[in-house]
Amino acid sequence: MTDRIHKSAIEVRDVSKVFGAGDSAFKALDHVSVDIRENEFFTLLGPSGCGKTTLLRMIAGFTYPTDGEIRLYGQNIAALPPFKRPVNTVFQNYALFPHMTVGENIAFGLEMLDRPKAEISARVEEMLALVKMGHLKDRKTAQISGGQQQRVALARALAPQPKVLLLDEPLSALDYKLRKDMQIELKRLQTETGITFIFVTHDQEEALTMSDRIAVMSAGKILQIGGPRDIYDRPAERFVAEFIGETNFLKADVATVADGKADVVLPGGTRVCARLAEGFVPHGKVTVVTRPEHAAIVANPDGAHLRGKLSSVVYVGTDTHFRVALESGESFCVRRQNSLEQGAAFAEGDMVGVVLETGAAQVLKD
Amino acid sequence: MNTSRHFGTALQYAFLGLAAFLSIFPFFWMLVSASNTSIDIIGGKTSFGAAFRTNVVNFFTQVDVPLVFWNSTKVAVLATVLTIVVSSLAGYGFEMFKSKARERVYSLVLLTLMIPFGALMIPLFLMMAKTGLINTHIAIMLPTIASAFIIFYFRQSTKAFPTELRDAAKVDGLKEWQIFFYIYMPVMRSTYAAAFVIVFMTNWNNYLWPLIVLQSNETKTITLVVSSLASAYYPDYGVVMIGTILATLPTLFVFFVMQRQFVQGMLGSVK
Ligand SMILES: Nc1ncnc2c1ncn2[C@@H]1O[C@H](COP(=O)(O)OP(=O)(O)OP(=O)(O)O)[C@@H](O)[C@H]1O
Ligand SMILES: [Mg+2]
Repeated sequence: MTDRIHKSAIEVRDVSKVFGAGDSAFKALDHVSVDIRENEFFTLLGPSGCGKTTLLRMIAGFTYPTDGEIRLYGQNIAALPPFKRPVNTVFQNYALFPHMTVGENIAFGLEMLDRPKAEISARVEEMLALVKMGHLKDRKTAQISGGQQQRVALARALAPQPKVLLLDEPLSALDYKLRKDMQIELKRLQTETGITFIFVTHDQEEALTMSDRIAVMSAGKILQIGGPRDIYDRPAERFVAEFIGETNFLKADVATVADGKADVVLPGGTRVCARLAEGFVPHGKVTVVTRPEHAAIVANPDGAHLRGKLSSVVYVGTDTHFRVALESGESFCVRRQNSLEQGAAFAEGDMVGVVLETGAAQVLKD
Repeated sequence: MNTSRHFGTALQYAFLGLAAFLSIFPFFWMLVSASNTSIDIIGGKTSFGAAFRTNVVNFFTQVDVPLVFWNSTKVAVLATVLTIVVSSLAGYGFEMFKSKARERVYSLVLLTLMIPFGALMIPLFLMMAKTGLINTHIAIMLPTIASAFIIFYFRQSTKAFPTELRDAAKVDGLKEWQIFFYIYMPVMRSTYAAAFVIVFMTNWNNYLWPLIVLQSNETKTITLVVSSLASAYYPDYGVVMIGTILATLPTLFVFFVMQRQFVQGMLGSVK
């Protein structure tokens, strides 16, 4: 992956979007910049109202940036209307035309492009086969299930062979099981067609399992861009750490900083080497984060990174969740996978130590 | 407890019975009277008589039925189609396109609902007279086409039309007018059906304005003809009733044909 030279499909340069004017003006996007590479599965992840749809609609051409520019394969697309962009969209509520059949929905865009009839019908068949919907070609779209509508929406969007496909929370209306199936299906389609996917979701698990890269957004800003592992293991900001998975926050003091790492003093007085976000030089008091599964409980507190009393031990089948009340008053969560050999070694009230894996600690920017 | 429930039910039935009676009796009386002579009708006879044939024959000799029906149908259908196309375009526009003046202009449109027709009658008549349209069907249709109520109805219904459908159509390369005719109209067809029923009935039953602008017998519509029969010096009520029945049939027909769509349209056409 890393040795390939990445070509940018979409470059978003310093884009802002303001809705309304005067007192009611609202900044939905605030100087957003991001490069989306060719053939990648790129996810915009963030809570409701953070501006995901707004960014997507600008790439599609339904709204225009107040500021900044968007380039598609190096070309500024500001002046291009939606249908002239090599971009297609799968809408949140599918937006299939209810008065047309499945086949007509897929053919409609091609007909508008004045493609020859034979080519259109061949393409429709091909698309139906791709999403496994051939048997329902002549059904009205109101008479098929949500999951099937989803597939038709995908087929319709892929039919004109776009270079980039935008998907706005396409799975949010489906039930859990169907959602899991469609996640795999989408990933398969993306690999098979080689089209760049820009996928919007507010579901962190979905983002982690499907994406090549993720941009975490909050309140109109992109906070962090990176692969699923980067985002999960090395959150740069408190919001990212909190939004994705469970996290322990510890107050610490920076002792020394050297080549992308910092020695920090933890609440109990022990030192640990923590990682830093690129180009970030911390000083003074900072917050250090650690994922619960990157630490272990030990019976002997001597030499451990943290000390405290076990305040709860919860068995949840695959894992056991330990909560340690640290001497500093903070609380620390540890998650260990269960195995048959390992018995119930610890009980509530025990004095224990917590050992962090090498590289488990990450210094937050804020 | 049991008796009080029975009493409640009885009261309900009594009320519904009365309501049914009040709405059905005029129809019944219309049918009965059509089969009686004028003298019997004035005498208050409420059973079927033997004069139906004579009444029909008299009506058809006194009135040029094909011409009158043609006038009414032409005016009602044309005015209805024009009203619906123009007002639905306006309603769609008001909802879909944002501008600073939008709500102000819209309020002005709604404000026109509050002006009683009586206040508009004379200015409208003068306008028609100045433009030489008196005694033409165009004069009846023109003032009805931009209907504030239908604009309001379409704007409200358009709120349920998903913007995503419009975006999807834009991705497919449709222009604004194509989106309206190829996507919006078919998707909103039950809204259109309901509007058609309402507007058609209003136009078909329109009386006061046609009475003012239409002056020659060749242009008159059925409502005018029936009412002129009723206001003759010696009105033949049996003949009037035949006219009334004939005048009611088209609206009944339109309603029954579009009943399902009408109800759907009133409930909101996009589910
Ligand atoms: N046309 C508009 N006029 C005014 N404000 C808008 C408009 N569209 C979006 N907004 C505001 O911009 C912000 C971002 O909206 P957006 O739809 O991009 O959020 P989102 O991240 O897609 O959220 P969700 O996950 O709920 O879909 C929201 O606070 C929203 O209220
Ligand atoms: Mg959204």
